[in-house]
Amino acid sequence: MSDSREQELAPPPPPWAMSIRRWLWLIPLLLATLLPFAWMVALSISPNAGNSMAKALQGPWDLSQYQTLFRSAGVGRYLLNSLGVAVVVVILNVVTAAMVGYVLGRKRIPGERFWTLGIVATLMVPKQTLMIPLYLVLARLHLLDTYAALILPFAVDAFGIFLVRQYVTQLPIELEEAARVDGATDWQIFREVALPLLKPVLAVVAIQAFLTNWNSFLFPLIFVDSDRLRTLPVGLALLSQTEHSVDWGFLMAGSTVASLPVVAVFVAFQRQILSGLLAGAEK
Amino acid sequence: MKQVLGLALAALLVGSCAPQKKPQEVVFWQFWPLDVIQPLVTAFEAENPGIRVRVEQLTWDGGKDKITAAVAAGAPPDLCELGSTYMPRFLQSGALSDWSAGVADLRAGLRGWEQCMVGDAIYGLPWVLGTRALFYNKTLFAKAGLDSSRGPETWAELQNAAARIQKLRGNVHGYGVSLNDKQKLFKKFMPYAWGNGGEILSAGLDSARFDSPENVAALEFYLGLRAVGTLGMQDALDQEFKEGRLGLQISGAWLFKQIPKEAPGLRYGVALVPRPAVDRGTHASFAGGEVLVSFQTSKRKEDALKLARFLVRPDNALALAMAAQSVQPATVAADTAAYYRERPMQQVLIQQFTTARFTPNHPAWDEMEQAIEAEVEQALYDKKSAAEAVRDANARIALLLGKK
Amino acid sequence: MRTHSRSTAWFLASPWVIAFALFGLYPFLFSLGASFTDYTPLAPSSTRFVGLANYTRALNDPAFWSALRNTALFVIGTIPFTTAAALALAIAVQPAFRGRTLFRVGFFLPSVVSIVVLSLVFKGLYANHGGLNGLLSALHLPTPAWLQNPRTALPAIMAMDVWSASGYYMIIFLAGLEGIPRDLYDAARLDGADGWARFTHITLPLLRPTLLFVLVVNSIRSLQIFAEVFVMTRGGPLGSTTTVVYHLYEQAFSRFQLGQASAVAYLLFVLSLGLAWVQMKAVGAQEQSRS
Repeated sequence: MSDSREQELAPPPPPWAMSIRRWLWLIPLLLATLLPFAWMVALSISPNAGNSMAKALQGPWDLSQYQTLFRSAGVGRYLLNSLGVAVVVVILNVVTAAMVGYVLGRKRIPGERFWTLGIVATLMVPKQTLMIPLYLVLARLHLLDTYAALILPFAVDAFGIFLVRQYVTQLPIELEEAARVDGATDWQIFREVALPLLKPVLAVVAIQAFLTNWNSFLFPLIFVDSDRLRTLPVGLALLSQTEHSVDWGFLMAGSTVASLPVVAVFVAFQRQILSGLLAGAEK
Repeated sequence: MKQVLGLALAALLVGSCAPQKKPQEVVFWQFWPLDVIQPLVTAFEAENPGIRVRVEQLTWDGGKDKITAAVAAGAPPDLCELGSTYMPRFLQSGALSDWSAGVADLRAGLRGWEQCMVGDAIYGLPWVLGTRALFYNKTLFAKAGLDSSRGPETWAELQNAAARIQKLRGNVHGYGVSLNDKQKLFKKFMPYAWGNGGEILSAGLDSARFDSPENVAALEFYLGLRAVGTLGMQDALDQEFKEGRLGLQISGAWLFKQIPKEAPGLRYGVALVPRPAVDRGTHASFAGGEVLVSFQTSKRKEDALKLARFLVRPDNALALAMAAQSVQPATVAADTAAYYRERPMQQVLIQQFTTARFTPNHPAWDEMEQAIEAEVEQALYDKKSAAEAVRDANARIALLLGKK
Repeated sequence: MRTHSRSTAWFLASPWVIAFALFGLYPFLFSLGASFTDYTPLAPSSTRFVGLANYTRALNDPAFWSALRNTALFVIGTIPFTTAAALALAIAVQPAFRGRTLFRVGFFLPSVVSIVVLSLVFKGLYANHGGLNGLLSALHLPTPAWLQNPRTALPAIMAMDVWSASGYYMIIFLAGLEGIPRDLYDAARLDGADGWARFTHITLPLLRPTLLFVLVVNSIRSLQIFAEVFVMTRGGPLGSTTTVVYHLYEQAFSRFQLGQASAVAYLLFVLSLGLAWVQMKAVGAQEQSRS
């Protein structure tokens, strides 16, 4: 058994044959998945093509839309706001999800199932109906038009809590029980035993919290007035959409640029999902 | 982890600090880009030292929700731009502030008062207006052997022109028939109904008049255009028109901004919406616009009114219309301005205002509009005849009159 | 027990509960209360209690039932495909092979772009002379008017939803897969179990909590589908793509009748709750025996 464990810790590089076999059926799928993106990018480098695929394929192609995008007043500011807000929300989400999800998953409180259902229930109401009461709460707390309005309502996310809770229920409890026998406190068990094991799922929580918050449009639009607090989706809409038309090239350029940070976050965090390799090897 | 959490909470505390809201600022919410509106605001501030204005741009998608939330919380902006489609409900709610006394002297110089009045009370100032007219492709007209110097005058001419263009080869279509594009189909169909003498409600807004032979005839005409054209939503039809593959369609002034950028070589013309016959009916069209209002719970109502009166001055409304291109000033005789004299196609739109109709100011109007659009859609998909569709729409409208 | 009460106290005192109460619970209860009134945000002071009037009006409205039918079709038509695709993709990109990160990023990409922009892109793709029909006509296949035909409009939106959601849930399954101890697979291999047997006897059972999560969350999200419909078809043609939330938006929300809107929202809530409960019973039963 110890032999297989050593093998786990230092996996050999994957054989080419196996990789190519996978590629054979994954590559067509990937191309099908990416086709709409190709169109998006094509539109973003074709000024004056409007929405027309035919025109976009003819060319000419240039980066003028991107230049306009970055020269547009405020885009840099919108990007920074979106980034700052998203980072804080992700941190708060990951911490809450870890703590609350763990407690719920280990059934440490009476009526845990009821609490879980209650938390998940808040996901079941469409946000159009929650918009006005949320606005009223923020108004009463004098938090409208502040960064707090972009952060606080999203700091505790039922999605992340539920995800961690599910993950925790499938984690073997033996390590924690062993630590308790050794005399560790609740907090120590959580911090030193459970938390490392939660890395894969917390990576997912981080990715999805970043993603949801990054693309969030309706609430940042409603809760914040000032241009200096504006986030990217709202800024892009203001710059590219009029009542009857959409500036396609500009919007596609903006959306392409907007997807880059999310992809970066994803690439960075998805390696964390890998670290679960150690999770099962402790036996 | 504790340090990270501490950092996050600290950021949160700092972020909770609200921006300094100066009490002497007039808060103005509107939909136009800041580079368009800021010069006007700066000019106002120069003329009125002591009044500062804070302008915020709203998005078309979600802007109404933002206004609603602010009103619900009792902290609306001091001056706000509302579209004519929002006006009936806002008027009914009693949330708007009464400007009857403050704008009485402006009555003669502006058009579009129907949008902001309930009885004799005035609750807003018309700022800019928008309408729909007939856009036609001159190149296709020439190819089809038609006189491209003027658009069709009557329904028969329209039908004929569309038929001839439809026969041309090269994937071109004659007339662009609008499908149920919510709140847009209405504006593409009703011009024919109004032009034929049809109505929706009685003058007192108390009974339904939609079921009439004039409206049935108009709908039958509209349905007949499918055979000599193509069906689509507004953006698809606009796109076809810009690509030069559509001969005629009813559309709006936003094309004036899009065509030079996306289709600079397109040779096109604008005409008033055709009337039923040379001796019958009118060149009716739809009219809507943007209105400036203040709210009962706004804080700086007098200054808001001053700013509104400033913005609707002929020069200022014209400046906005010139920058936006998709609207025209609500000023009477706006087409005499040099800018429009140099642009005959845009002048046509202003001329269209004289025979254009605003929608009834009934509080349940949006439900009525929806009923009309749904029934017309049924007819477009051949689920009902024109007569049935008109009759059913009328029944639904009558029902709505009975409710609040 | 000592651990129990301390944890409870710790849990309840945490600031998260306060934030949740303010920003999660309060709006939820406010909407619920509003559903029994004629609350309109434009004139909040004139709110009157109307009892169940909003609910009966919604339940008597054929448009509501039509929207419910469309939503049910949507959920039934997308959840199985999205779940299966996400799981298949996760299993495909989980083991180490060259270029794995590229595939992970690629499949995840559809979730990265805002749903409004994505819907605009697909609206163009589905247009009569758009990209999809261009491709089909090059292959000499029929080219229907996807978004204008009442029969094809909803399936078209459903296809887009499966396309964009699969990569997202793939990530969740990936995390779940990582939680399965590797030695179980090794032991099974030694016992002579083949790939399919390993999948059905080890992967699926141990993946149940994750699977339940994906089902519940994806169902909740699908029941609330709105932005795609708003951008692409506005609920048409002939109401074939009007979902419950779109119906709520068009009928009540845009008329400032928040009481009515909330009633429809809570009818949907009851449906979501019921569906989640059924899913928990069917898939989540495993939980009891683990901890």
